Amino acid sequence: MSLALPVYLIDDDDSVRRSLRFMLESYGLKITDFDSAEAFFTTVDLTLPGCALVDVRMPGLSGQQLHLELVAKNSPLAVIYLTGHGDVPMAVDALKLGAVDFFQKPADGAKLAEAVVKALEHTKAHHQDNQYLETYQALTPREREILNLIAQGLKNQEIADSLCIAMRTVEIHRANLMKGMQVGSLAEMMLIYSRIAERLRLE
Amino acid sequence: MLLRMMKTVFRFAVSVKWPLSILSTPHSVAIPRKKPRNAVLFLCLLASVKVFAAEPLNQSAHSGLTDPEVVAQVAIEEPSYQVVDVGVLAIRGYKATINRWQPLMGWLETQIPNSYFRLHPLTLDELAKGVETQGLDFVITNPGQSVLLARQYSLTWLATLRSPLNNGAAMQVGSALVVRADSPYHTLSDLKGRRLGIVSKNAFGGYLTLVYEAQLKGIDLPRFVGEIIPLGFPLDNLLYQLDDQKSGDDAAKDNRLDAAVVPVCQLEQMQTEGLINIAHYRVLDNQAPAGFNCQVSTHLYPNWSMAKTNRASQSLAKSVTQALLALPEDHLAAKSADSAGWTTAVSQLAIDQLLKDLDMHPLQAPWWQRAWQWIKLHQQWAWLVLGILVLLNVYHFWLEYRFSRRGRELINTQRQLNENRALLEHAQRIAIAGELGASLSHELNQPLAAIGHYCHGAEVRLQRGTSPEELQSVLALIQQEVTRADNIISRLRNLLKKRPVSKQPLYLHELVNDTVPLLAYEFEQHQINLAVNVNGEPYLQSLDEVGMQQLLLNLLKNAFDACVQRLELESSGTEQIITQKPYTPTIDIDLRYQECTLLLTVTDNGTGLTEETSLLMQAFYSTKSEGLGLGLVICRDIAESHGGTFSLESAMGGGCQAQVAIPRKPELNGAQ
Repeated sequence: MSLALPVYLIDDDDSVRRSLRFMLESYGLKITDFDSAEAFFTTVDLTLPGCALVDVRMPGLSGQQLHLELVAKNSPLAVIYLTGHGDVPMAVDALKLGAVDFFQKPADGAKLAEAVVKALEHTKAHHQDNQYLETYQALTPREREILNLIAQGLKNQEIADSLCIAMRTVEIHRANLMKGMQVGSLAEMMLIYSRIAERLRLE
Repeated sequence: MLLRMMKTVFRFAVSVKWPLSILSTPHSVAIPRKKPRNAVLFLCLLASVKVFAAEPLNQSAHSGLTDPEVVAQVAIEEPSYQVVDVGVLAIRGYKATINRWQPLMGWLETQIPNSYFRLHPLTLDELAKGVETQGLDFVITNPGQSVLLARQYSLTWLATLRSPLNNGAAMQVGSALVVRADSPYHTLSDLKGRRLGIVSKNAFGGYLTLVYEAQLKGIDLPRFVGEIIPLGFPLDNLLYQLDDQKSGDDAAKDNRLDAAVVPVCQLEQMQTEGLINIAHYRVLDNQAPAGFNCQVSTHLYPNWSMAKTNRASQSLAKSVTQALLALPEDHLAAKSADSAGWTTAVSQLAIDQLLKDLDMHPLQAPWWQRAWQWIKLHQQWAWLVLGILVLLNVYHFWLEYRFSRRGRELINTQRQLNENRALLEHAQRIAIAGELGASLSHELNQPLAAIGHYCHGAEVRLQRGTSPEELQSVLALIQQEVTRADNIISRLRNLLKKRPVSKQPLYLHELVNDTVPLLAYEFEQHQINLAVNVNGEPYLQSLDEVGMQQLLLNLLKNAFDACVQRLELESSGTEQIITQKPYTPTIDIDLRYQECTLLLTVTDNGTGLTEETSLLMQAFYSTKSEGLGLGLVICRDIAESHGGTFSLESAMGGGCQAQVAIPRKPELNGAQ
């Protein structure tokens, strides 16, 4: 259940932060709030999934700076911007960075909650991807090569021919692949691969 | 026969000192009046029995002999018997006067047949009145009076008395200034501030001659002495009082006379009469001529003289003159008058001169009369002067009117200026509010957002089954946010309000703390460091809250603009070579509660001053493209309206420093 994932609320204005928390909690979200980006960074494990609702204008690190930091660390945390009076260039920048949404205060509660739910799903997927990627990166170069060829739709014999290895060797690698990626079927493995490939392409 | 009887009766009346005075005021003779009337009634009774008894005489007698007109009628209607009224100045009392002059009357009666001379001892005023009312035929008087009378009424001088003491000289009048023999005074000038006794201020021998003498010496006698006390007739009193007080008790000493003025020979005569001891007295400034036997302090003036009035006929006057001149030196009538008979009338010129010099001459008109006469003579000039005066007055009032009108105009202009100034200030405040827009909308947005969140949250919870009671606390939170928004709005409204300048005691640092948040957002956006320092013990100061806030906002806005401008310059790279260190824009607000002055300094490290301070302080001069050019002018106005000063100078490190100094109002100490 994605609603169980933590939602981090970062805003320097006490009354805004408290009121937001009150509103979002009424939707059953698990809220943790911080009055600055610095406090957030010292407390939160950035590798875990979650949603960050950040105020753009804050003393110290701004919302944008916080987002940049998360992206740099490839954190699965989904970011939603809250701003007093946003302008179009700022919103564009935010979305380019991968922000889930951009809200102008006072935000509509229902829409915000909806966005948070979406963000939590997003973060969950992102987290999954990250895990797949980790698995992928744990594979040996030969295994990644064979996985790549499998994804291109080549049969075992064709793979063995193109790599100039024995058919048997290809079969052993495939079994290792299935095991390493913790999948039960080729179809499942191919689905994961496509997502990894997408991330790899982005990078 | 009747004549004799009448004479006898009159003699009797006179000798018992019943005043027959034709001039005495009724109350002064009220008591002794009855007896002479009785005597007259007796006379009339006799007369009615006799052949001469006639109606008119009876009537006149009954109606009272004191009426001069009736007396005159009697004289006219009795051609064979003549009653002659002689007025004499009674200087030494009634009795002494009778004694002195009655023998002369007797002499005249013997010399002029069918005549009866009635003697009237009178005071100075009575004598003058007697002449005026034609109640007298002849007057015998001292020289001062004689001149006064002669000038006022038609008098003809017949003869002057000769003095027995000075080889029969006719010059026998003057003053003796007498002091006690043991007193310290030696000349008239020793009497400064002393008490001087005199007989009367009109007395000639007794007073005026001495005043004149003093005037010749350059002394204004009435002001020179301390007090002049007129004691009146008889003269004897003066000498008695002067001597009496020698042995007086202490209380009397305060009232004692220091000196007295008496007519010449008075002293010697009273000595001869045995009334005083001359050794007790001393005469100051004695200047008696050789052979003159009395001491005298003044010049000598002609002696007593006799004159005829209009009432006496020429023939009577002639007979009287002849009789007077014929009076032998050793006759009783001469001796009793202390004289050596009579001589022809002596010139009164010296007396005339004296009176003129004393400004008392009867012919001498008072100054206002002379002025009036001059005006009548020179009417055209008088009118001219009057006309000029009127014109000057009209001109004066016209000027005054113009002046007051101009004054009102000036006041109106000033009021209008003040109104315009207030309008300008207001306009500039609105301009500031416009510039604060971003900051303000953000400020206002925060509580509004919070309220929205709380409401939505509560709504959702209610839908999901939370009980309303549990949500009650949210309402309090919402209320908090509403208050916050309201504060922001009222802060803005205060700034924009058109208001009369009203000063209230407040702490300036609180006002600073209220004002800074209005700009905080913009400062943060540009990463400008703002520091507020308060030094000293805060005290209440009477301040125009809105005005001071406007001043602060102007200064902060200027500092902010300067910093932003420099930031832009730095980022465009033109100054990077010059400044080694990265630029951190800083604005310092420094508030010092000093003992006598409240000092507010705003310092920035922006672009600094590019123009002369005096130029920047001019209205509508601005270095900014969209500036009104009013900020600094208004800052100065506001500082000055608090009795303070506003100054602008370059700060260390290239920025600008603005300073407001407001003198502390000590009376507010009690209000704290």
